[in-house]
This record gives sequence, structure tokens and C-alpha cells, in this order.
Amino acid sequence: MLNLSNLTMEFGALRSISELDLTVNKGEIVSVIGPNGAGKTTLFNVITGIYTPTSGSVELDGKSLLGLDPARINHAGVARTFQNVRLFLNMSVIENVMSATYGHTRAGLFSSALALPKSRKEEKLVRAKAEELLSFFGSRLTGYRWDQPAYSLSYANRRRLEIARALATEPKLLLLDEPAAGMNPKETQEITEVVERLRVEKGLTILIIEHDMHVVEGVSDRVVALDHGVKIAEGDFDHVATHPNVVEAYLGRGAADRK
Amino acid sequence: MSENRVPEEIQENAAHEAAKLGIGTDEWVAQHEERTARKKGLKGVPQFIDESIPAWARWVVLLAAAFAFGAFVDNQYLLRIGVNLGLFVMLSYGLNIVMGYAGLLDLGYVAFYGIGAYGYALMSSEQLGHHWSTWLSVLIIIIGTALLGYIVSLPARRLFGDYLAIVTLFFGQVFVQLVLASDNITFPWADDYVDITAGANGIPGIDPFSFFGHKFLNIRDYYWLLLVLVALLTITISRINRTRIGRAWRTIREDALAAESMGVMVNRLKTMAFVTGAAIAGLAGAIFAAMQSAVFVSGFDMPLMTMIYAAVILGGSGSLAGAVMGAIVMSVLPEVLRVTNYSEILFLAVLVLTLAAVGKSVKRFTINIVSIALIGFAVKILLGFASIKITPTEEWVVGPVSRALSHWMYVPLDRVLWGNCAFVILIVLIAYFTTTTPRIKTILLPIIGYLGIFLWEVRLVTDVNTTRQLLIGAMLVVLMITRPQGFLGKPRVEVL
Amino acid sequence: MSYLGQQLVNGLTLGGVYALIALGYTLVYGVLQILNFAHGDVYMVGAFIGFFVMVGLGGPLAPSVPVAIMVLIMFLVAMLGTGLLGIVIERFAYRPLRNSTRIAPLISALGVSILLQNAALLLFSANIRTYDTSSYIPSTLGFSFADITIDGVRLFVLVLSIALMFGLARWVNTTQVGRAMRAIAYDRDAAVMMGIDVDKVIRWTFFVSAALAGAAGVMNGLLLRGVSNGMGLVPGLKGFTAAVIGGIGSIPGAMLGGLLLGVVESLAQGYLSTNFSDTITFALLIVVMLLKPNGLLGKRAIVKA
Ligand SMILES: Nc1ncnc2c1ncn2[C@@H]1O[C@H](COP(=O)(O)OP(=O)(O)OP(=O)(O)O)[C@@H](O)[C@H]1O
Ligand SMILES: [Mg+2]
Repeated sequence: MLNLSNLTMEFGALRSISELDLTVNKGEIVSVIGPNGAGKTTLFNVITGIYTPTSGSVELDGKSLLGLDPARINHAGVARTFQNVRLFLNMSVIENVMSATYGHTRAGLFSSALALPKSRKEEKLVRAKAEELLSFFGSRLTGYRWDQPAYSLSYANRRRLEIARALATEPKLLLLDEPAAGMNPKETQEITEVVERLRVEKGLTILIIEHDMHVVEGVSDRVVALDHGVKIAEGDFDHVATHPNVVEAYLGRGAADRK
Repeated sequence: MSENRVPEEIQENAAHEAAKLGIGTDEWVAQHEERTARKKGLKGVPQFIDESIPAWARWVVLLAAAFAFGAFVDNQYLLRIGVNLGLFVMLSYGLNIVMGYAGLLDLGYVAFYGIGAYGYALMSSEQLGHHWSTWLSVLIIIIGTALLGYIVSLPARRLFGDYLAIVTLFFGQVFVQLVLASDNITFPWADDYVDITAGANGIPGIDPFSFFGHKFLNIRDYYWLLLVLVALLTITISRINRTRIGRAWRTIREDALAAESMGVMVNRLKTMAFVTGAAIAGLAGAIFAAMQSAVFVSGFDMPLMTMIYAAVILGGSGSLAGAVMGAIVMSVLPEVLRVTNYSEILFLAVLVLTLAAVGKSVKRFTINIVSIALIGFAVKILLGFASIKITPTEEWVVGPVSRALSHWMYVPLDRVLWGNCAFVILIVLIAYFTTTTPRIKTILLPIIGYLGIFLWEVRLVTDVNTTRQLLIGAMLVVLMITRPQGFLGKPRVEVL
Repeated sequence: MSYLGQQLVNGLTLGGVYALIALGYTLVYGVLQILNFAHGDVYMVGAFIGFFVMVGLGGPLAPSVPVAIMVLIMFLVAMLGTGLLGIVIERFAYRPLRNSTRIAPLISALGVSILLQNAALLLFSANIRTYDTSSYIPSTLGFSFADITIDGVRLFVLVLSIALMFGLARWVNTTQVGRAMRAIAYDRDAAVMMGIDVDKVIRWTFFVSAALAGAAGVMNGLLLRGVSNGMGLVPGLKGFTAAVIGGIGSIPGAMLGGLLLGVVESLAQGYLSTNFSDTITFALLIVVMLLKPNGLLGKRAIVKA
């Protein structure tokens, strides 16, 4: 589904991603790990069109995403969440989700202004869809919470809302940037289940960045480890977790030797 | 390999972030009572209005009042104020779309109003000798200003915040300059110069609107037209705001990058906001020109711009009701200020209210009032003994209020000089007041009050326009510090 | 040829004034990332202070001190006065808003701008004042080479503006406060953690930025342009344009942008049209913003995601 080849991203003299090849197959859950500053978020930013890579190619189902702006890339089927959670804080919870249907809805200025039947119907559908997506998280984001402003949510709920918002864009490929960051063990466990359910119930292909190794172990079909923008290991969890390059990247050379 | 080290760090970070934002698990629910508890005093007024009257009822009351005004008021002057208010509401609505919804700071907005007015003037006066039908000229103006809005929005696609503000401000200045300079243009292919805009002289003799053979000869015609337009705009804009396009506009204001990543076509929507706002302003301009029957470019410059901004911000940007409220304050208040007697009463009322708000208890309030009175007498007597001329001249006494005050207040011969001194001292004292200890504040307050009255009486009442602008300026600063969301707006949370 | 040269010289003089205004925008933007809308009006206040100092010293026709000293005092008092004004503006209109919404400081600055303009109107009336420079600095004082003449006042303004720019560069690079200012501009959070007193640095930044505007205001007066309460708007816009063209936040950029703008404007006036020169400047701004959004010498803006 997603195909990156020979991808390089440079900021001036700094190479955040270096000649990276990566394939994600349909229905797969792939984790990206690596120490801070390894280039994981940069990878997401390149895929979603926020940065234009210095060289290399990004393809979705054989079509190149290079040169498309983030909105078009989203329409092509890629949705994401942000490491630092970027919700529309002053809009209500349900509006956050509804707004993300923009790409596949049609109502324009005039049909909304005149409240034409067509646009009213669409509005109803959008709302129903948003409610359905929010109930994906059980009772966490339902009922009275719909009309709360997003800034009033707890941290974990913000992360959930961001996922719901991404789903509203009807993606094929979902990019999750540290979905479990800042969550307690119970919530982390829940997120692990949510990711699995996203694949099963929504039929999504998922690329996930995560520092919590329990989550990584729990969800991944395959793990890719980055360090300084270079892919240093790839394979199933056990293979990558014990790979000497990875141990070295996280703990330094000395630790790798002792082991 | 230690697996837990990294996540813990991040968790801590996140907790820290959350604390910074003032968010904990379900704080919202925990604070429910506190949020709904009524705030006391002046601060509770907006909340009280918000909670006790449902939104639709407010609009119905407003509409009924506006209708009654148009039906029963015969005074031309009052009707003109009504028409001005209508125009002001239209302008505030347009700006509210651009700034309130989409969050684009467009400081050249008033130029579209001017272009609409000049456009109509050129198509319906002897200036260029055209007298086109109202339908045609209004249509051309709406399309033309929309197109221009589109062009101005092109740089807006790349720019945000401050840059956009300056570019649009510059655009507004360029409009003024072009109009001023276009009374004497020599085209390369012509021998003689042409006069397009009449420069600073303005264009007189503009035809009134005329629809289906009905000429708008009475100011009341414009009033009804504006009432209908404003009602239509209120309905359509609030519908748009609630649905797809409006939501998308608001996502841009919240976080343009996130919006784009969620599939919102940010550039197209920015353009759409600009175009809609520009078209509304252009239409308002055409109405203004037809009603006024003359246009002058100086009327479309910074002072008007600041008043529209003040209106939208005072009411609460992003809220239509707020835009109406702001427009009322900004267009009716100046008229009140124009009549010296009213303005004095208004000023004293505001002063008393301020003292009541600042003083908190009845006792404090009384002390303040009495102290101000005493200071007045003291100054008058002291300066009298020092035989510095006390001259309550006839010229100064303009109404019962100032007549009453003249027994109390020392009026210097050179009012400009002493007024200016009072102005400077007052500013310094207010600045000092905001930074000092409560004790000194108590002492300063009556002095500031006295100086305020003095300044108002000897200087400000006679210079309405300057006073108005001074008040607007001060209001903008104070409002940003105390209630940045405006009177009817919701408080905003921003993380940037 | 001589005409061209003459326009270039005039343009550079004007450009020096723009550069000083532009520097003020750039300095403040560097540390606070806000656009100081009131900057043009600070410039206006500077021009007024210069005027009243001149009147206080006996006026243009009968100065009570030697002319050189009079001009020096005019500059010093104007710069000190506007500098203090800058500190006051920061204290009351910006500092309370440091953690507010993005739009709040802009609106507050707009308010300050309106306040200053109308306070000046109230205090000094709408009369346009002039410095009447020619009566104490004779225009014969200048010199000429080839066919180009540069009169004394212009030469003085040009030299002084360049001197001030060098002084500023020195201040930024060598003094402790100047270096702290650059540190804050580079990374505010890190600077705070290093124990830099941010409030103090911001105060200084406003002082210096406003003082430069004040100097520019006096220069404007010396160049025989009218002094009035609304005079700040257009030069303020031009100064900002210059800062943007050079790359906002960049000190050499502001200097370059200012000089460039002055020359372009002067050429436009000389060869195209006097009435439309501001329009041409505006067009230049748009073109630069579209082609090089970060200005000629600006750093690439970092998109955070
Ligand atoms: N816009 C940018 N300009 C310059 N450098 C950047 C930019 N974005 C990222 N970088 C640099 O690229 C490197 C990789 O950053 P990135 O955010 O991708 O790391 P990460 O793997 O996501 O780390 P973390 O685990 O902390 O989230 C860092 O050194 C960062 O400073
Ligand atoms: Mg990251």
C-alpha cells in the first residue's frame, strides 16, 4: 500500500531521514521505533506532505504523493494524528470530528446558506457518522461530551478524539504518532486494543510510532527501527528488540558490548 | 534493554503539558458548578444575558425593535442613525467572517467598502457621465469586489497573522492613494489627462437606488432595504457557520496545519472568506454611496477601519450577536457623544459605574464620590485664594450639567493648555495606578476621577472625534488585557 | 546619468530613515514574534519631540546654542523620549498579553497606535509643523562631484543613519544585553533556562527599537517633511515592508531592505510617477513576499508538526 524508496530529508546540514526504504502492505500494522530525534515524526511529516523530501519517492497504491499538498494527500487516503495533539481546541468534540469529513462532502456556501435539502441531508449524515466514530471508544467520548469544547477533555481523551477525527476523513492508511504517550498503564492497554480493532473493524492499514514497548509488542506485525534517520533494523518484534544495532542506539555502545 | 525509561519521561512531559493547559482528568465535569455559578457584579452581566434569554428570542426582540423603529420613527436624523447602524452591522458581519471565523486579520477590509461606494458613484453620477440601472451597478459591484477579494486573498494564502495584517493594511492605503491620485492620469495613448475619481474633492450628485421604477428618495427606503439585508445575512451566515464551510473556516483559525492534514482545503477556504467578506462590504459601500449621494475617500480610511474592528472585537469576534452589539455601540455612541449635553451625562454615568465597579463596597464607593467632590472644592478654593483666574465663562457653559459643574470645578482661562496638562498627568497617573499597591490605589482613585472630569469638561467635550478615537484606542488595549474574547464571545484556549 | 545619480543619492538618504524604522520592527519581532503596530506612531512622537526641543532652544531662526549642539540635543532628547515611550508601551500593552491569544497583541498594538495618534492630535492640534532646516543648515553646505550634489542635511542624515546602524550592530554583538537578545530570538525557552532575565532584555529591545524610530522621526523632520499626528502610518508601513523584504528578524536584512526600498521609491518617483510611488512599493512588497516569503536574508521559517 505505502511504498517509500530511497527517501532522504535534509534540513540544511541535518539529515533527518537518510535513504530510507519502507513498504507497508495492506492490512498490516507496522511500528516505527527509535530514540528521540531519530526522524520518526519527520517521516510522518514527509508522508503527509508537510515537508517535501530532498530526494526519493513516496507512493500510495502505486501513485506518487510527492508534490501534493497535505489536504490532497489526505483525500488520497492518508490520515494522521500528531505527537503533540493538535485538536481544534475551541470547537466542540463532535465538531472536531465533523470538520474532518470536509474532503468527502460537498455542501458549498450557497447550498448551506439556503439550507437546500441536499445539504441538510448531508449534514445529518455527517453528524450521524461523527457520533458513530466517537462511540468507537465506548463510553469515553459519547453523550454529554459531544458538545463540550475540545479543550475541556482530559489528555487521554484528546488523543482518542484525534484518532476519531482522523477516521472521519475515511483513510486507507492511518499514521499514529505516539498514541499512548502520556497515558497510564490501563489507558495504554486500551489503546493497544483500539489499534487492533481499527484494523479488524475499519479495515485500516496502520503505521504507528511508539516508545512504549508493550504497545509495540502488542500491536505490530513488523517493527522498523530508526536511528539518525537511518533504518537500523526491521523484522518482527523479538528480532528488532534484541538486534544489537537497536540496543546500541538506545543504550550506547558500551551497553551493547556488555550484552 | 530498559523499556520503561523513555515512556516515563514522556509521560512526565505530558503531565506537565496538561498541567500547563489547566487540564486534568474530567476537570470539566468537576468544575460544572463553578462554571455555571453566576459571577457577581459587572462581570456577571454578559453571562446573565447569555443564560437568561435564549438566542432566538434575542434576535426576535431585536428584529421587532428594528421594525418598530422603521415604522414609527419619523425624525430624519434618527432614521439616518438607523441606516448607519445597518451599514455598520453589514460591515461587522463581513469582517466577522474574515477575522472571526477564518481568523484572518484583514486590515484593508474597509477598502472594499470604499471600492463599492466609489464603484457605484462612478456608475451613477456625472463624474463619468454614466447612469446605469441600479441592478446592473450593484451586480457589477458585488462581482467586482468579490473578484478583488480573490486577488487580495492570493498573498493571504502564503501569509498568516501579522504579515497578512500588514499587507492588507498596505492594500487599504494603496486604495486611498489611488483614489486621491486618479484625478489626473495621462494615459500613454492620450494627449490630455483624465479625471477618474475627482481626487480629494469626492464625487457628488450620485443617483439614489431605483428598483422597479421606485426611486429611493426617502431615507426610510434605505432603512428597510438594510433591515431586510441584515436579516437575510444573519440567517444565511449563521447557517453557513454551523455547517461544512463554517466549520472548515473555524478549523483554519484553530490550527491551519492540522486542518490541512484533515483534508480541509485551507487556501480555497481562506479565499472564500475573503471573497464573501469583500462582497458584503462592497454591497454596503454601494448602499452608502446611494444614500449619501456623495463619496469622499477620507471616509474609507483608518478611522473607519478601527471602528469596525472595535465593533467586532468589542462584541466578540466569531459571534454575530456580538457583531450587532459592537455595531450598535460604535455607531450610536458617537452620535450621543456629538450632543454635548448627553455626552456629559453619559460620561458621568460611566465614571460612576467605573467607580462602583472598582470600589467594590458601598462604603468605598461613597468615599470615592465624596473625595472627588472635596478635591473639586479644594482646588477651586485654593486656586481662588492664590487669585489664579477662575473664569466660568458663558462660552464654556453649554448645558445644565456643565452649569452645575461650573459651581464646583475650577475652570482655567487657557482651557487647551490646562486640559493638555491634565491629559498628560492623567495618563501618567493611570499608568502608575495599574502597577502600584492597593493602598496607593485608594488614594489615587479620587484624584484620577477628578482629573478625568476636569479633562472631560475643559477639553474632550469640545473635540468629539478625537475623544471618540481616544476612547476606542484605550478600549482595545483594555479589552485585550481583561476580556480578549469580547463582550459576547466565548473565552478561547490557544496553545502556541 | 546625473539625474540617475541624484535619484540614487536621494534614495539612499530616504533608505537610511526606512532602515532605522525597519530595524525597530525586526528587533521586536525577533524577541517577541509580535508586530509592533504602534512603531510608526513612535516615530511620529520622535519627530514631535525633536520639533519642540528645537523650539525650546530658541527656534530655527534664533537658536540659543550653536546649531550643531542644538541638533545633537534634538536627537538625544527625541531618542531618549521615544525609548522611554517604547518601554511604557511594552509594559502596558504587550506584557500583560504574553500568554494571551495570537491576535491579542496585534489588536492591542492597534489600540496603542490609535491612542498615540489622537493624543498627539489633542495635544498638538492638526497643524503641520516643519523644522525649517534651511534656515540653520544652509543648503550651500553640501558638496558635489560630477553632476551630483548632496546637500548638507542629506549627507548628515545619511551618515548619521549609517552610524546608528553600526552602533546597533555593535550593541547587539558585544554587550551582554545585546547577546542575550539574540539568544532569546534564537530560542526563548533555552534562554530562560540559561537564566537570562527575559523581561529586562525585552525592555531594552523596546527601548532601542523605539529610540531608533525616534531618531528616524527627527531625521524626517530635518529632511523638511511635515510633522503631524498622522505622519507615522505610511513610513511605518514602509519600514515594515523594508523589514519583510530583508527578512524579518534579521538585522542586516532590515538595513538592506530599508536602503533598497528607499532607492526603489526614489527611482519610481523620478522615472515613473510621484503619485503612485507608494503603490509601487506595495507591489514590490507583494512580489517579494510571494517569491521569497522569508525575505532576502531571512532564515527559513520552521514549521512545527
Ligand atoms: N522543520 C525542521 N527544521 C529543522 N530540523 C528539523 C525539523 N523537523 C525536524 N527536525 C530535526 O530532525 C530530527 C528528527 O526529528 P523528529 O521530530 O523526526 O524526531 P522523532 O524521531 O520524532 O523524535 P521524538 O521521539 O522525540 O518524537 C531532529 O534532530 C529535529 O531537530
Ligand atoms: Mg516525534
